[in-house]
Amino acid sequence: MPIVYTCKNCGIHHSKSQYSESRSCKKCGNLLLLQFVASTNNSENLPNNNFLREKTSQNEFLSTSIKYSSFKRAARNISNETIKHKEYTIFSEMELNKKPEIKEKQWWLLQIEQEKALNLKKKLLEKYRNKSLEQAIPGEIISNKQGKFYCIDSISNLEFKKIGYRECENKILSDLKILSGIGPKRELKLKKGGYSSIKDLENHPLWKRTASNFVDLIRRKDIGRLQSCLWKSLPKSHPLLHYLAGLNNAEDFAIVDIETLGLSERPIVLIGISTIKNEKVLTSQFLMRSISDEPGAIWAFITRIHKNSLISYNGRSFDIPYIQQRLAYYGIDYQINNPHFDLLHFTRRALGNKLENCRLETVEEHLKIGREINIPGALVPEFYRSYIETGNAGPLVAIVEHNKQDLLTLAALFLKLFEEWNN
Amino acid sequence: MINKFIRSLENIYKKQIVHKQIIPSKKPTFGSLEKPLPKIIQEYLLVNNLCLFVHQAEAINKIRKNKNVVIVTSTASGKTLTFNLPVFEAIYNDINGTSLYLYPTKALTNDQLKVIRDMETQTGITANSNIYDGDTPNYLRPTIRKKSRIILSNPYGIHYYLPWHYKWKRFLENLKYIIIDEAHVYRGVFGSNVAMLFRRLLRICEYYNSNPTLIISSATIANPKEHAIKLTGKNFDIISKDGAPKGKKIFIFWNPSFTDSTKITRRSTHQETKDLLVNSIENDLQTLCFTTSRQMAELITRWAKEDLNKKSPALSARLTAYRAGYLPNERRDIENKLRMKQLFGVVSTNALELGIDIGTLDSIIISGYPGSVISTWQQAGRAGRNEKEALVTLIAFQNPLDQYFMNHPQDFFNRKNEQAIIDLHNPYITLGHVMCASSELPLKPTDVQYFPELFLQSIYSLEKQNLVAKTNRGYVYTGLAKPTDVINLKGIFQNTVTVTYNGKILETLSVNKAYDEAHLGAVLLHQAETYIVEEFNLETLIAKVRKEDVKYYTESKKTVDVAISERFQEKELKIKVGLGELLVTEFYHEYVMKTYDEIIGREKLDLPPLTFSTIGLWILVPEDIRETLSSMRLSFEGGLHAIEHAMIAISPLFAMCDTRDIGGLSVTLHPDTFNPTIFIYDGFEGGIGISETLFSVISDLMHKTLDLIKTCECEFGCPSCIYSPKCGNENEPLDKQAAIILLERLVS
Repeated sequence: MPIVYTCKNCGIHHSKSQYSESRSCKKCGNLLLLQFVASTNNSENLPNNNFLREKTSQNEFLSTSIKYSSFKRAARNISNETIKHKEYTIFSEMELNKKPEIKEKQWWLLQIEQEKALNLKKKLLEKYRNKSLEQAIPGEIISNKQGKFYCIDSISNLEFKKIGYRECENKILSDLKILSGIGPKRELKLKKGGYSSIKDLENHPLWKRTASNFVDLIRRKDIGRLQSCLWKSLPKSHPLLHYLAGLNNAEDFAIVDIETLGLSERPIVLIGISTIKNEKVLTSQFLMRSISDEPGAIWAFITRIHKNSLISYNGRSFDIPYIQQRLAYYGIDYQINNPHFDLLHFTRRALGNKLENCRLETVEEHLKIGREINIPGALVPEFYRSYIETGNAGPLVAIVEHNKQDLLTLAALFLKLFEEWNN
Repeated sequence: MINKFIRSLENIYKKQIVHKQIIPSKKPTFGSLEKPLPKIIQEYLLVNNLCLFVHQAEAINKIRKNKNVVIVTSTASGKTLTFNLPVFEAIYNDINGTSLYLYPTKALTNDQLKVIRDMETQTGITANSNIYDGDTPNYLRPTIRKKSRIILSNPYGIHYYLPWHYKWKRFLENLKYIIIDEAHVYRGVFGSNVAMLFRRLLRICEYYNSNPTLIISSATIANPKEHAIKLTGKNFDIISKDGAPKGKKIFIFWNPSFTDSTKITRRSTHQETKDLLVNSIENDLQTLCFTTSRQMAELITRWAKEDLNKKSPALSARLTAYRAGYLPNERRDIENKLRMKQLFGVVSTNALELGIDIGTLDSIIISGYPGSVISTWQQAGRAGRNEKEALVTLIAFQNPLDQYFMNHPQDFFNRKNEQAIIDLHNPYITLGHVMCASSELPLKPTDVQYFPELFLQSIYSLEKQNLVAKTNRGYVYTGLAKPTDVINLKGIFQNTVTVTYNGKILETLSVNKAYDEAHLGAVLLHQAETYIVEEFNLETLIAKVRKEDVKYYTESKKTVDVAISERFQEKELKIKVGLGELLVTEFYHEYVMKTYDEIIGREKLDLPPLTFSTIGLWILVPEDIRETLSSMRLSFEGGLHAIEHAMIAISPLFAMCDTRDIGGLSVTLHPDTFNPTIFIYDGFEGGIGISETLFSVISDLMHKTLDLIKTCECEFGCPSCIYSPKCGNENEPLDKQAAIILLERLVS
């Protein structure tokens, strides 16, 4: 927390070294007082020189017994404290190696990543000075019943070749343990008795009903019901749950990733969705030009994902509950119940021991996907704040790029995992 | 039995017993309901042989008409039943109806859940009642939110759940009643925070189109209706006719005798307590002893056990301590054993003061005035609920407030209970909660109904700090951290210092507190362990400590400077008094090391002075008295200083507060008043309403101060009147005689 030493009388700031030299003001000789100041790069936020004795002339604020200046001071204190309570931690590489347990738990980034990102921000601010949002990031304003927002469309070269329907169906149906009531021992017995797939069990006197119900779900491609069915007997990271995705057509997926101003209770600033058409990945990103755009963008997201199966990275615990909370925040009554393939669980299982940690950046290195522009997710709030404060779209370029790359990495990871299951 | 015991006490301890008051027994009065309850609930009352007392009936009649009520009756007057009857009726009549019970402590929640579940079983009305708080396991939470129709929780929990209101949709949409029990606990800083929290809760209820009826219960405070209104922003009907029966009580005031002829030191209150406790237990009186600190609860238990071991070891095992730090099942065990009369003696902190059911005891020992008339009666109320006679003994400390009552016992018995003070104007508190509210739903102009005083100012200052952003849906929270992580209900929003031990967080303190307790070299007490502060870094706001068992404790000494930054009001009595905003600067210049009350060492402190702005009052003392005093060879300065100390010490008589919450300064000439001046101010950033209350009773306050000093038996001043343990000038100069003459002039 930065400290200034303020003269009690004239309000002039002194540095720490000045304070150590002499405890009194250079100008008037009065005592120096301790003051905490907000640590932002923005000089506007520094306390003005004599707020200690500020008298306000605004009559409307004098109607209550307490001066408006106390509010300003209180707000500044709170702002300081929010900075202290920010949700991510910055580690040096050394610290990270010392405490391996933090890798999984907290929102963290490396010091070097932060430095790089701040450098990047500086460059972007320079590059996009005096350029409009449309020039910096081509896109268009779209409106719906909840509001307006800025939409950015793109197509990627990545070929999204989905695994075949039959292969998936066979994999799933040949595991009898999926049905509740069948354990490994009973499965062995049944297989010895010639029942090698759930389809065969449709003729078994005892398991007939359960089996045909399940086969029916497969036939109807009711991914949602099948998922809850499988969760009862399998861990969330089980490959069969991933193979379930193979029952879908490629067109039935929506890869999603959001960028936010925090881990909860704050606005979403960008929503990215990728869908597949003719094996090509089409990406739409809904950007908030200001926080006012948020309800419109969220509504567009709801409409766009329709009944598609979602693919995400930690979206079950983060993205979807987050969007749900924002919907409630704006009084929009809607429940997201789409089937959902959260690749984080699968990645932990398939690649966990090959990777240092399961951050998407690390997965990318493993998949040999490079990024031109990258910022750690934790720094999105700071980048967005710079944009709001300066009106310069430069920092947004990085956020949009970062989000798009995340979506493409997810698409690649989704396919790569099928390979891993076969190894 | 009790009479015999008292007679024997009176024989042995003639000097100590300074007053004996008989409080006569009272027969119950009953009331009736305007319309009958559902059959199964009537049967429940019948089976349990319950008749409704007049206050219960009156409250239920109002509640059934959807009127908010505040119920002010003594401990054990059946408040729980008053809540439960309308709640169960509502659940019975409306298949979706829900109710929320809020208690200030987790222990109370557990206690009440038992009662509610029992009623569920007996009536056959299923409410799936459950506790939902920090201890609720994650896997149970969704089910409780979806199914329970009665949820018990505490304000701390609600603070965290509000942003997730959509998960509570079912419960909130159907919310019929909110029960706020023990509302007198919500006062001061905590209460002001809770008042803002209730506004946030009601705002969310409105969003889900529910308009719950509020049922508030409180111990007898002087301003129950005002308190309820301030706490929630809603209107209330008050229920105060107490129809519950009471047994006869004998109330004894006990002042430890002097140990020296100069009448400065009295025998230790703790030793005296221990003796009386042992004596009571030996005389077959089931006794509950209240102490003012956790440490004393443990120590008195240990000493009493040692004593009993020598005389009657069997009794020693029947005595135990009780305090908040114990595990829930340990506490439950003690409560049960008390009820079953398996324990003969318990030494407790005020943790047992609230409505936990422990049955009725024979004797209550209150070791040291608990700080308020309300608490004293709450603690006394633990004995003598039936026809049986009971004994209550208040043993005094050698501090001004305790000694005042020892000298004026009638003042205690005639005294109205204190007011519960809540401040809705503290910007540090309101701003924090307006910020929280903005993260729960966008803030709109109509929200002025919840945050009337400060909406404009709050929003404007929050927006300036980028904590909220203006959008076409209202103001939206955009800060860098989760607001509920930044704002806590116990404190006023301030910069905080984190105390770490071996890299782990031990606790956090406000900067002011840290200056006091966590400066370099300070001995920090944490859960009865002693730690020494090795490093106090102001830039990172971190204090590092090491564990060390030391026999001494530390006290930092500060001097204070006060400047008036705005005058709100001035009154002309015999003299001038004023109220306004003060800028207080505190200089922590040294700390002393003490064992028992003896100073064993001093160290200089090198800390930059701290400033904060608060609300305070000032008393201008006419210059001409100075000469009168000097002609009598008395010290003018010593007189002012003595008045300041005594006035702060007696303040809790008027405003429910702790003397540690109040600061003061006396000077023979102040640059802002051009006069000799005494300042009294709230020790919290932004003020918390104490000085405003004191200002409104200022002439009473001065009279009582005079009374306190005059009636003290000492000659030159002592800890019972004008000495203050936290004085930065080590009680120098003080002049008792000058203070009396000064005050007589001021109030004449």
